[in-house]
Amino acid sequence: MLRFVCTLAIGLAPVAFPACMNPGPVTADPGATAPVSLGVDLGSSASRSPLSLGAMAPGEGHERTTATPGVVQVAHEGHNDPHGTGTVNSVDLAQHKLNISHDPISEIGWPAMTMEFPVAPSVDLRSVKPGMRLNFTIEQGQGSMYEIRALAPAGGAR
Amino acid sequence: MEPIQPVMDRPILAHVIFNQLEGRWNGTNTEFRWDGQGWVGTDYDKLWIKSEGTLQSNGTLDDGQQQSLYDRAITTYFDLQGGLRSDLDSRPTRNWAAFGIQGLAPYFFDLELTGYVSGQGHLAAKLEASYDLLITQRLILQPEIELNLYSKADPARLVGAGFSDIDTGLRLRYEFSRKFAPYLGVVYEGRFGQSASYARRLGESTGDFRFAFGMRIWF
Amino acid sequence: MNPRRHPRQTGGPAIARRRFVQGIAAGGIALASSPVRRVLAAGSEPVLSGTQFALEIGPTPVNITGRQRIATGVNGSVPAPILRWREGDTVTLAVSNRLSVPSSIHWHGIRAPSPMDGVPGLSFNGIAPGETFIYRFPVHQSGTYWYHSHSAYQEQTGLYGPIVIEPRGGYARPFERDYAVLLSDWTNENPDTIVSNLKFQSDYYNYGQRTIGTFVDDAEQKGLDPTVANRLEWGKMRMSPTDILDVSGATYTYLINGQPPSANWTALFRLGERVRLRFINGSSMSIFDVRIPDLRMTIVQADGNDVEPVTVDEFRISVAETYDVIVQPKADRAYTIFVQPEDRSGYARGTLAPRPSMAGPIPPMDPRPLRTMADMGMGGMDHGSMPGMQMDHGSMPGMEAGASVQKLAGSVGVDNVAEMPTERLNRAGEGFPAGRRVLSYADLRATRPGGDPRPASREITLHLTGNMERFMWGFDGKKFSEAEPIMLKLGERVRFVLINDTMMEHPIHLHGLWSELENGHGEYRPYKHTINVKPGERLSYLVTADEPGRWAYHCHLLYHMEMGMFREVRVWRCASYERVPHHPARRARRDCERRCRTDFRREGRASPWHGANTAGDGPANSGPRHL
Repeated sequence: MLRFVCTLAIGLAPVAFPACMNPGPVTADPGATAPVSLGVDLGSSASRSPLSLGAMAPGEGHERTTATPGVVQVAHEGHNDPHGTGTVNSVDLAQHKLNISHDPISEIGWPAMTMEFPVAPSVDLRSVKPGMRLNFTIEQGQGSMYEIRALAPAGGAR
Repeated sequence: MEPIQPVMDRPILAHVIFNQLEGRWNGTNTEFRWDGQGWVGTDYDKLWIKSEGTLQSNGTLDDGQQQSLYDRAITTYFDLQGGLRSDLDSRPTRNWAAFGIQGLAPYFFDLELTGYVSGQGHLAAKLEASYDLLITQRLILQPEIELNLYSKADPARLVGAGFSDIDTGLRLRYEFSRKFAPYLGVVYEGRFGQSASYARRLGESTGDFRFAFGMRIWF
Repeated sequence: MNPRRHPRQTGGPAIARRRFVQGIAAGGIALASSPVRRVLAAGSEPVLSGTQFALEIGPTPVNITGRQRIATGVNGSVPAPILRWREGDTVTLAVSNRLSVPSSIHWHGIRAPSPMDGVPGLSFNGIAPGETFIYRFPVHQSGTYWYHSHSAYQEQTGLYGPIVIEPRGGYARPFERDYAVLLSDWTNENPDTIVSNLKFQSDYYNYGQRTIGTFVDDAEQKGLDPTVANRLEWGKMRMSPTDILDVSGATYTYLINGQPPSANWTALFRLGERVRLRFINGSSMSIFDVRIPDLRMTIVQADGNDVEPVTVDEFRISVAETYDVIVQPKADRAYTIFVQPEDRSGYARGTLAPRPSMAGPIPPMDPRPLRTMADMGMGGMDHGSMPGMQMDHGSMPGMEAGASVQKLAGSVGVDNVAEMPTERLNRAGEGFPAGRRVLSYADLRATRPGGDPRPASREITLHLTGNMERFMWGFDGKKFSEAEPIMLKLGERVRFVLINDTMMEHPIHLHGLWSELENGHGEYRPYKHTINVKPGERLSYLVTADEPGRWAYHCHLLYHMEMGMFREVRVWRCASYERVPHHPARRARRDCERRCRTDFRREGRASPWHGANTAGDGPANSGPRHL
């Protein structure tokens, strides 16, 4: 359990707690002195994916899936793109949109609202469910519409 | 003030090498011989010093030639050199202006070809060549030759007109490191023509085979 | 936490760093989040994560071969700590210099504004002794990269470390374990001495030369006449086909994450897990061939960018390149990560094992390669190139080489001109036994199409030249100090054509801009930051000049770079550049430069503080780019 929480902390928090960075030898034996030259395990891909819900889909392996979460390489985001937190009301997979009730977004002066966002095509929506609480980043696209560029679970269990 | 450069690609470096630093023994007496060069400068321009001489068993210094030259890289493998040569040893001193080339000839022959002009208008020339034959990675056989020519005889220095003398040897060295390699070898010091007759008159040898043992070092 | 103290992390530097960390808080630099504490993991590599970093460059005692030496460490460790960033974050790195000489850190492969690139003389003035320089830039890419000093020979004496950037959207190819594998070469000699030795005797470190013994062997195998002819052929050129690497195992010990083979660096796994190994060649002069006997590797990333997975037995990683591989060991045994330099003069070794204190068998070394006439640029006499591979080419290789032969041949800085350079991207190189599947550049296919669909508007052809005998290196026969900068206009799309006139590989690295290698995959050409050009090879790549600034462009073999194989690529946004791009009149160009310099200086000072990328929105990791 501790290890699980720690790997979560590594993924999201800017401060890494020393205990969390110790994956330990595979045959866990905390009392034994490890040999001098053990490599540092940086963790599994699941522990670092902000939206790991899709990442662990069965059969992913080495095959390409049509909407791989890893493809979210956002080109346009500057470091000060607005972001917010909200609860998902509904997911429209066909139109690739989300209806979210979100908290105020101070960067652009928005109060708390419930509204629909188009989502960037590279973001995988298959595992987003109503009722989930998410952090999201938005960017102004064509026609000054704000579009969700990236999603991450807002500090909940995975 | 010169702005900071991302790379310093014009280093000034210095090196000294002794190709011969040896004792030569012919069964009767032992000589000591050195032949070394050193230079300081950049890739294109260097100050080059050459020195050679033989300390004979009777304590006299023979065959002394000291040169200081300005060296300029002109082609991929060859440098142009110009400067002064001083024949400094126990015999009368002679001074020359020097002009020549030095470098690596095809098939990996090291070559030095220098021409000289004295104050009196006499001419001289020197050819030095050597080759490194690798027997193993560290055991190297080196044949080497030095030839001197003069336009005018100089009896005081046992020098005759034309081909004057030859100093050639076959040296087998073992490189403990690149910079330190002791060797054993066989050398021949010979005089030709007019030089030979001068030498015979003075009771000196005209052709001498000697065993050599010494070290090739550089740093 | 593991109480074991790493032998290189004793005393002084750690204390000094603690003092420094307190100093930074006292100095009043406002940090948005709490400072990162140095984290010691169970393994030997320290890892730093977050967005704020304090790095201290200082002399660090090490003992790798049994002799105590002073290396150049960061936060007391050699190699430098692993930095973990996240795509989308803005990172701030306060780098202080506790050496007695100037230093610098360059983030290799990272696209950052030019003043943050870390090249003294081009990006900034370097970090003076006692000074602290604050790097700050947004991270718009993900993958495996590395960082190293760009001052003097500090990269040789230990200032190198991995960078791992987490992708924003997660990993497309899952894995259960992840290790950074930084390969390097260590010498107890002073690097200045190495250069001095090479200047006097260029084959100083080559103990694999041809001897009477090899002559006899060859004569027995191939006959006396062909052997004599072969020796004469090479002798006439005053070249040796045994010239593979300038500095060899004669002085180098090869390291994995700073560990010599005897230390047996070990990466642990559980049976059935997928292990990601991030191979980084952080050496100064060594091109490595990497393989894990009995375990095939699937290459998923090259130079930080995703590629279609390729499963190979072995790959050649040149200096400064990175390859991420995923392996899935199926047996309950130890596997040896076997890393040989190209000249087979030694090896680096690590272990992939289910439990600590295991070691796999060490295989025999592969045969040492010999240079061929194709490497001398005599065309594809024995190895033909595939004509269909190269597309988008206007020029004919033969004509190009002809023009340059007149100019370059015979000059002091050039010992060979490739008469018929060939493109051999589909060949892995020399020195691999038959039957092994080895990666070649033609195997690299990006997973996403390139961001800039425009064709090149012009071509810049450069010859990689050198004089081995004098140990002089350059481009087009000229050292850096003898050459002019290469001028690009902001937004331009150019094709660089490189022709390697020398008989050695050169990993050519362009700072700040992506090099899109034209390897036959069209718009799925790989985005690389370092491209290894084989001897006698001709290849090309496309570059979009989307970041203004003065960018370093050089061979990443450290001693080649320092001896002249370096150029400045200047991306200019001068309004009047259009009219004087290649104007021979120096005055016109000087005037244009003076006008632009004012603009650029203004931009240069603005960008780190405002964080805005002056070229437009941040350049992406092989995604669509914004101009």
